[in-house]
Amino acid sequence: MIKPTEIIETEMTIVTTSSYKLASAKDLFALTKPRVMSLVIFTAICGLLAAPGSIHPVLGFTAILAISLGAGASAALNQWYERDIDAVMKRTANRPLPAGRMDSETALHFGIGLAVFSVVLMGLAVNWLSASILAFSIFFYAVVYTIWLKRSTPQNIVIGGAAGAFPPVIGWAAVTGDISLMPVLLFSVIFFWTPPHFWALALFVNSDYSKAGVPMMPVVAGRQSTRRQIAAYSVILAICAIAPFALDMTGAIYGTVAIVLSVIFAFLSFRVGLSKTEEPSKMKAEKHLFSFSIFYLFALFGALVADRVILA
Amino acid sequence: MSEIDPDKKPMTPEEQKAYQARQKQRALITAGLLFFLVVLFYLITVVKISGS
Repeated sequence: MIKPTEIIETEMTIVTTSSYKLASAKDLFALTKPRVMSLVIFTAICGLLAAPGSIHPVLGFTAILAISLGAGASAALNQWYERDIDAVMKRTANRPLPAGRMDSETALHFGIGLAVFSVVLMGLAVNWLSASILAFSIFFYAVVYTIWLKRSTPQNIVIGGAAGAFPPVIGWAAVTGDISLMPVLLFSVIFFWTPPHFWALALFVNSDYSKAGVPMMPVVAGRQSTRRQIAAYSVILAICAIAPFALDMTGAIYGTVAIVLSVIFAFLSFRVGLSKTEEPSKMKAEKHLFSFSIFYLFALFGALVADRVILA
Repeated sequence: MSEIDPDKKPMTPEEQKAYQARQKQRALITAGLLFFLVVLFYLITVVKISGS
């Protein structure tokens, strides 16, 4: 005859052995790429604050929360799909999925759940235009960039950069309920900023993208071609960044910051364009451009908000 | 009903302890998040009603 305690022990064994990989909260959080999310949150807040009109602080907070959750969902779905190449590359091998600390199903369910929740939250609390753009940005990053472009073309980062350019547009749409030329220009700034920023890093960091079969521009087209493209993109970026001031959509604070920083950005980019260094440790121009590109975006969007808050 | 993976061995007492600690941590965080969402949805409802 089986004693009651034996039944309990047997059941406990079944439970523990069938669900061994219980992801920790820390790993689930890591799945959302929190460091990348900081830029998303910053640009979304700037889009929200720079938009004409006002939004109740609770709804503004909810909009930023929904955008953050949407970005986290995109990152989770990205890591779920890329777990095979993440395992090959040293930089990403310790992520929760390739390191074996989480089941792929958990990551997929977490990503889809977070995506649906973020879009519904945005739609119900703020408006359905911003919810639609948020849904499209998640789809764009998870499907168009991650599944389709990343492994098939060296232009992956160019087109995929659009996914990172949506947050200020969503922030703007959360306040105004529509899309005008200004948020499109903010989108363009991040869109054309992404290639020089990312390729500058790709030039001096010895990544193992080629080992993972990902066609990154410096690997496929060579370093010199990538450098020329960086210089070309810096010109388009400068035009997009200065356009809001030139078209009288912003004031002198943004205008001054945009002109000065865009000229410096273009100068640093052309210095990269003229560089012929092959040794990553000696690529000072590329390192300067990469560092400055981060400051550039934060300062530009900060100036946009300062312009709106002070001059309004 | 979930099937048992034959490749997985039963946990040692230490592993089981760590597993249960992780379960507890997740449960506490989930409870915290749910409480936060209750407060947030309450505030959103108040703002929406007062706005209309």
